[in-house]
Amino acid sequence: MSIQVEDLHYTYSSGTVALQGVSLSIADGERVAIVGQNGAGKTTLVRHLNGIFRATGGRVLVDGQDLAGREIAELARTVGYVFQNPNEQLFARTVRAEVEFGPRNLGYDRARRDELVDWALTATRLTEHATSHPYHLSLAERKRVAIASVLAMDTPVVVFDEPTTGQDHAGVRDVSEVIAQLHARGRTVIAITHDMDFVAENFDRVVAMAQGRVLADGTVHEVFADAEVVAGAAVEAPAMMRLAQGLGWTESVTTVERFVAVLAR
Amino acid sequence: MITVDKLGYTYPETARPVLREIDLNVPSGQFLGVVGPSGAGKTTLAQALAGYIPHVLGGEVTGRVEIGGLHVVDTPLPDLVTRVGMVSQNPFNQISGAKFTVAEELAFGLENLGVPRQDMLIAVREVLRRLRIEHLAERSPYELSGGQQQLVALGAMLVMNPDVLVLDEPTSQLDPAGSRLVFEALGELRSRDITVVLIEHKIERLAEFADRVVVLVDGELRMDGPPGTVLAAPELVEWGIGHTRFTTAAVRAGGRWPSGAALPVTLDQALAGFGGAR
Amino acid sequence: MATLDFYQAGRSRVHGWNPVTKLSLSLTLVVTAFALPVLWWPVALLVLVLLPAVLASGVQRRFLATMSRFLLPVILLLFVIQGLFYPGGGQVLLTLGPLSVHADGLLFAARTALRLVVLTGSFLFLLLTTHPGDLMTALVARGLPPKISYVVSATLQIIPAFRQRAQGILQAQRARGLRTDTGLVSRVRALVPLISPLILGALSEVDERSIAMEARAFGSTARRTSYTVIPDSTAQRLARWLMLLAALTAIALTTTGVVS
Repeated sequence: MSIQVEDLHYTYSSGTVALQGVSLSIADGERVAIVGQNGAGKTTLVRHLNGIFRATGGRVLVDGQDLAGREIAELARTVGYVFQNPNEQLFARTVRAEVEFGPRNLGYDRARRDELVDWALTATRLTEHATSHPYHLSLAERKRVAIASVLAMDTPVVVFDEPTTGQDHAGVRDVSEVIAQLHARGRTVIAITHDMDFVAENFDRVVAMAQGRVLADGTVHEVFADAEVVAGAAVEAPAMMRLAQGLGWTESVTTVERFVAVLAR
Repeated sequence: MITVDKLGYTYPETARPVLREIDLNVPSGQFLGVVGPSGAGKTTLAQALAGYIPHVLGGEVTGRVEIGGLHVVDTPLPDLVTRVGMVSQNPFNQISGAKFTVAEELAFGLENLGVPRQDMLIAVREVLRRLRIEHLAERSPYELSGGQQQLVALGAMLVMNPDVLVLDEPTSQLDPAGSRLVFEALGELRSRDITVVLIEHKIERLAEFADRVVVLVDGELRMDGPPGTVLAAPELVEWGIGHTRFTTAAVRAGGRWPSGAALPVTLDQALAGFGGAR
Repeated sequence: MATLDFYQAGRSRVHGWNPVTKLSLSLTLVVTAFALPVLWWPVALLVLVLLPAVLASGVQRRFLATMSRFLLPVILLLFVIQGLFYPGGGQVLLTLGPLSVHADGLLFAARTALRLVVLTGSFLFLLLTTHPGDLMTALVARGLPPKISYVVSATLQIIPAFRQRAQGILQAQRARGLRTDTGLVSRVRALVPLISPLILGALSEVDERSIAMEARAFGSTARRTSYTVIPDSTAQRLARWLMLLAALTAIALTTTGVVS
């Protein structure tokens, strides 16, 4: 499902300007990473995609339809949103009930619910914890419960806000696997993250933000090759890109896979 | 300086120990990285070093933890706080609530210790500068983003100038430039002879900044040594800790990584090894 | 932050006064207004002291708006009830069917209303012109136990922080399709997913919070120092002694029956 953001502005009631003219067009099935400085407006931007924030200027269209005036609960059918802090959403007595909450709200029938919940639990490696109380799990596991609870809603667009924070290597690999599965199902995936190697390995496109504006928008290589963008967005190029640059290579290299392939030539 | 001798710990109302037979000596001024998969007991170890176990969290401690010659279990917490400071994962919970601005929040610990005002002013200004948060000095700590709150939580400990600083993923919500800044600031603490114990998933940063790395798996110390050796060990993959991209690249490069050369864990090492490969 | 909303930052001289001076002023106004049973006395306090102080600090708009919002309904009710039902009676001013309005009742209502205006106005003036942090710092410097100051400061800040979190939870659950807008049943049903994360979250954070306070040496027995210095002056110290004297005089005059 496509997304259009047109000259989006957002100013908090306190007067703090968070977004000052963001335009973005995301095609159906794209995997887009949003990176940038703390306070650049990344979260504010993606919270417009499911109506949590309402533009104070400009507009947002999902599947060609203006979001103005539409309910968050209604938009939940289209855009799934995994919040950064799982503690702000987990409430059920078991992991399974937690994951089932979304699909139930959306009125999916029993068979579809079961199928989706099973898939979401498997994808997040939580099947063995299905009957545990979410608060008996570690923070990293709770974070995966939050991801599963949104996956099970089976939305065409899934937004993640810093999905790898606090995850160990295996946890990050799980999130990568989830994104790959969503991609295989033709979903649009948007993620905010501070992990640039995770970006290089899982996303087609990078949007770098600073001070409420889009600083750069392009492939991983395009965005990180620009030293001014890297400095302006307070990021670092992915490890393999720094290595290839240091070696004086001219090829586009952002991942280990690509590095090894180029090396073998 | 930290001396840990056969440390074991079991949480209240549980049977299985979270830490088992930990032996660890960390000299003054050393920057020690602690890695391990989720649930290995890393946070518990940090809390034991800081004295929160058993003083605040209860539970059963066996063995000994000494900080600068003080026996942690027998020392009341107020006497420990000038020796050891801890920055935990959730920055929101570390804001005292007693103060209305970031500058006052940073000074709070010093006020409680009765440090003269002139010294406080200097210490607070220094930390604001070092963490580049001068622009936040007059803001409310509650209005900050998670990343900014992490910097304030770190600053609140730095300002107290403890002999040992224990940090549990202190940069998880920071952008890469902010995280690098924090690692640099921690690296500079060597010159003040402050011991740093850092729990971190970002092993590429540890490879660059730490003097030494220990691996905690299932409550036990499995490995201990210089970052170059420990972080390149093949077992790390099987333990769910993983390798840096530089290490993985060299492993996958097979014959194109110079035979006999140690596997790289930093950019510089990778550049040196791959430099003649093509 | 909603709880801090009372405080209106400004650069007036009144803002610069030591919070204890402003607190003394408020207390003196209230004590004398209640102690002296003279009808015109609260009026004099309002006109000669409180209103000039409010005007000098530039907070008059918020002052008048808040006062009328809080007090008008109370005062109106006071006059109606006391006018009609004041025991004793006195001269009947007006008869409305079975009800009659008595002069004594109206007098009592006026006296109470004026005192209420002084009470509310004095403290509103204090809150509007004094940052709660400065007030706490100034009081701790004068011997208020830091624990009490902490409870006040933390409450003022953590409540808005929790309100913000409650808002975050509401958004997170709506983003999972929770409807809170369709009738009573759905609203009641929506309470569990909204309230339990708030409570579970707060409970799971108790340990970490107490650790955070310990880590900052809050349990220390050292003699505390203060980072923030609250300005004071000889004139203000003198003023505070005079105000104390005035309050004591008012109490003495009333209890000895000199003024009645």
